[in-house]
Amino acid sequence: MLTGTVTTIFGDDINTDDIIPAFRLQQSNDPEYFATYAFEKFDPEFRARCGQCGANIVLAGKNFGCGSSREQAVYALQYNRVVCVIAGSFPDIFYRNCLANGLTLVALPDRTNIGLGDALEVDLAAGVVWNQSRGPTIPFPMKEEDRRTFLAGGMTARVRMHLEELLAGPARTE
Amino acid sequence: MGQTMVEKIVSRKVGRSVRAGELVERLPIGKLFFNDVIGPPAILTLKRLFGDTFKQHGKPVRVFDPRRVFMLPDHSIPAYSVEVAEGVDLMESFGRECGIRVYREGDGIEHVVLIEDGHIVPWDIVLGTDSHTCTNGAMGALAFGVGTTDGAYAMATGHIYDFVVPETFQFELAGKFQKGVYAKDLILHIIGAVGAGGCSRRVAEFVGEGVRQLPMDARTTICNMAVEMSGRTGIMPTDETLLEYLAGRAQWPVEPLSSDPDATFANQMRVDLTLLEPMVAFPHKPANAVPFSRIPEMMAKSQTQPGPDLPAVTSDRITDAFVGACTNGRYDDLVEVAKVLKRNRVHQDVSFVVIPASRKVYERAMDEGILQIIIKAGANIESSNCGPCFGSHMGVLSRNAQMISSSNRNYQGRMGSRDARIFLASPATVAASAIEGKLADPRKYL
Repeated sequence: MLTGTVTTIFGDDINTDDIIPAFRLQQSNDPEYFATYAFEKFDPEFRARCGQCGANIVLAGKNFGCGSSREQAVYALQYNRVVCVIAGSFPDIFYRNCLANGLTLVALPDRTNIGLGDALEVDLAAGVVWNQSRGPTIPFPMKEEDRRTFLAGGMTARVRMHLEELLAGPARTE
Repeated sequence: MGQTMVEKIVSRKVGRSVRAGELVERLPIGKLFFNDVIGPPAILTLKRLFGDTFKQHGKPVRVFDPRRVFMLPDHSIPAYSVEVAEGVDLMESFGRECGIRVYREGDGIEHVVLIEDGHIVPWDIVLGTDSHTCTNGAMGALAFGVGTTDGAYAMATGHIYDFVVPETFQFELAGKFQKGVYAKDLILHIIGAVGAGGCSRRVAEFVGEGVRQLPMDARTTICNMAVEMSGRTGIMPTDETLLEYLAGRAQWPVEPLSSDPDATFANQMRVDLTLLEPMVAFPHKPANAVPFSRIPEMMAKSQTQPGPDLPAVTSDRITDAFVGACTNGRYDDLVEVAKVLKRNRVHQDVSFVVIPASRKVYERAMDEGILQIIIKAGANIESSNCGPCFGSHMGVLSRNAQMISSSNRNYQGRMGSRDARIFLASPATVAASAIEGKLADPRKYL
């Protein structure tokens, strides 16, 4: 169960260059570094808005996170205390990068009952968003395996178990 | 019932018949590669997440199979900062530790070099830490981009996890390009028709007579931009041209692959290449693609209804031009640029950067006198790398710039200032526009 406030609303097709420009990507290997430059060209006020709230939720249109595969885009959101992105849809690479880092994504075709400043409770296990400010409970679909991964905060534990199996067994040949 | 190419590839890898929509918890991969943007953090992530696991088994941190993993510094090289240089150092030292191939700076762009060197073959499953990994689908491989963490997982175990077999959007290409019309115009036309999210979560499969008559360089241009309509990847069936290309080059066994005639496709679309004309994508989206005949109409629309996706374009003047990138920096592209530039000069107000996409392309274009034509016309040739497409060096744009580029993305701020305007077009159209200092139809130069 996570709670947060909608502090940003974006339109369709926000790309990962918008979220974190290319020039910053190789300047650090510290994920927290990218928070400083989140949306620096696209929305220079983003950081200040997020700084005023303990848990931010971004609301966006279709295809949020399209374009480049840069995982730094996920860090730029997480280290600005974005706990969840609710959007019309997400393209595959960004979706997988969020799964890997445990940044909860909710795909919601109809977002008319959510607005700026609303306090939301996102219940992954039940598959509902409860808008505490306006009242309604909005169900969202999610694949069971994705729910499991978001709740676990990523896949690393599973991958480590697989690696253990491989290291204990004979070398992989094909 | 028949299967798509994607269903066939995944079925063979997992040893059972799968259908689109099915979940594969552990999918083995065939090839894995890293550039200088994600390579260094992926190596650090591998060590951080799994260092202890390797240690407990008394083994050093290593990759699942060194023959199948590649490091290619290509985005920000020659290094523009100390941090970039140290990232490349890390790729080199880790490569030596693990016995994996690390390409030299200047060998070229990942999606060009591995194909040239025969590492990508039909039936392969290829992961690269770059969204344009879809380019490799022209070889009949299932190839898609991943981030740092999936890349680190794959280095450790040779698998991708919770892979859902994607549906396929089949594009049937008929007819033949007219003079001055290229693969780039075709893929811009398709992206314009279906939109930025038009192929979302699906694989774009390109088939038909229109594909069969295209050389490999053109095919990679088409697959390269599948991701610009949010496709999971692009893919093409095996034919004589591909087999000929792979003969004497392939480092791995080659076996033909195509979808069954009775396979299930989520969408189908037919495009007649004969009807296409040169295209230009207006800023800030590849999907803002229009044919040359509709440029005045698009300019008027941008002025009356400007928005975040289509800013007001008040002039067709061009200040900067670029031919290169994983989209259009190959040999056939440079040949077309030289054809247009021959006996012409780059406009005095235009900075024209040309970057051969690999060392092999560079050397061939040099040996054949193609680079001489381009240089004498007044263009700047740089060593093989991603160049201004990555927005960090080799031609970063000012707020006043209007760039025309053969690359694949014209997002706001992609190549420098957020106020710059970027148009996308074929190499011939870029060269014609560089000559005239404004958006120019290449047909009169051919």
